[in-house]
Amino acid sequence: MKKSIWIFVFMGFFVVAGTRGLATGAEPGQGKNTGAVPMSIAAGAGVVEERYMDDNLGYLDEEGEEEIQVPDPLADWNLVWFKFNDFFYLKIVEPVAKGYRAVMPVPARTAVKNFFHNLTTPIRFVNCILQWKGEEAGNEFNRFLINSTLGILGFLDVAKKWGNIDPADEDLGQTLGVWGLDNGFYIVWPFIGPCTARDTIGRVGDFFLDPVTYVDPLLLYAGIKSYDVVNRTSFRIGDYQRFKDAAIDPYVAVRDAYIQYREKEVRE
Amino acid sequence: MPKLVRLCLLALLPLTFFGTFSYGAQPLDDLKGPIDEVIRILRDPRYQDKAGRELQREKMWNIIQEVFDFTEMAKRTLARNWKKFTPAQRKEFSELFAEFLGNNYIDKIQGGYQEEQVVYLGQKMVTAKRAVVKTKILRESLEIPVAYSMVLRGGVWRVYDVNIEGVSLVKNYRTQFRKALMRKSPAQLIEILRKKIERQKKARATRDDRAGGAADALSNRCQFKEG
Repeated sequence: MKKSIWIFVFMGFFVVAGTRGLATGAEPGQGKNTGAVPMSIAAGAGVVEERYMDDNLGYLDEEGEEEIQVPDPLADWNLVWFKFNDFFYLKIVEPVAKGYRAVMPVPARTAVKNFFHNLTTPIRFVNCILQWKGEEAGNEFNRFLINSTLGILGFLDVAKKWGNIDPADEDLGQTLGVWGLDNGFYIVWPFIGPCTARDTIGRVGDFFLDPVTYVDPLLLYAGIKSYDVVNRTSFRIGDYQRFKDAAIDPYVAVRDAYIQYREKEVRE
Repeated sequence: MPKLVRLCLLALLPLTFFGTFSYGAQPLDDLKGPIDEVIRILRDPRYQDKAGRELQREKMWNIIQEVFDFTEMAKRTLARNWKKFTPAQRKEFSELFAEFLGNNYIDKIQGGYQEEQVVYLGQKMVTAKRAVVKTKILRESLEIPVAYSMVLRGGVWRVYDVNIEGVSLVKNYRTQFRKALMRKSPAQLIEILRKKIERQKKARATRDDRAGGAADALSNRCQFKEG
């Protein structure tokens, strides 16, 4: 329990550090208005095809593309941590994961990934039950039994390979969403990254369901968690940079991607 | 004799099959053919050096332009803001957005292809003219679900949205553009896009130089060995 207190103190420090001083008045992800208006766009110049004349947008509503907007009242604070995480991920986490990837073959990294995934079964199992998903809860239970024994402590995902039992990707944030709790607002945590108020509560709950949480001392806990992150990142080298390159406004792009991704998870 | 009749009927069978499906091609086929072709070009060893890479881009771009309906994408990303743009601006925006997305797509696969495989999972008709083709990308032991939203126009299915792991590309840009257009004019947004493309070009030039240099060094070494 002592460790969890430390982690909250640590988080609290960042909250304070973020709101004081560090936050600037800049609008997230947007440079100052340049005011440069290109004069090349002469209205009505040349022949414009018919499709550009079409004002009809009605079909977008018909398709029922519901859009989720999550308020971002802490935008200034969030932007600071977005930049911090951006730097931390691209300059520290990914280079380490890249080196790790170079020396560790795919089967070894997959085994480690499976091991950590198996370890967090309690989170998925409990949340399946909380969402009244009996079959998925049973699958998680069986997966844990099979992979911990035949799969040698979870290093091999034999439940998937031989039994074709898929894992249930559930967590407390999703459970709260299924129960009808709103996202609240968007928040970026240092090291953790994009989150919402609801998912923050979810993460705290899941934290207590994660067996690694009860590892002592703190340094060992941090080491295990870091290794998990590095191993997972080794499968994602370059993805974030490419996503960022494709964005007009990286901060908004990441925020929207997170909201969309979580919304899909809650729906499923 | 009956055997012969049966054989004749069997021979005719594919024709009837063809007849039922020939009009209105299948969305999955209209997607799979071109994507497989892009991957084939990507893996072709002929395009290793600097000049080759340029040619490779051109070939891939020609295919991509056919598969993706960039104008439809541009319109959907702007959504209500589409009306704020003059027809000329719409055209310019659509063309720049197409170039920007195309560059991203090609840079992505040309710069960081990790022997990924594309698996086609199937198609789902939403309406007679709209469909979703589900695929997944296999990378090492990772599975990345990618769904293509397609629309039938002029007898051809074309992509108007790509959904990667639950994140719609169109919606993602829509949020970004909406935010930008709250403070900026359509003309300014067009200018931002133009600058982005300039930057892409520069980044690509340095990368191609590096890749070209490495390929040349490799071929030199090979020649040396042969000699």
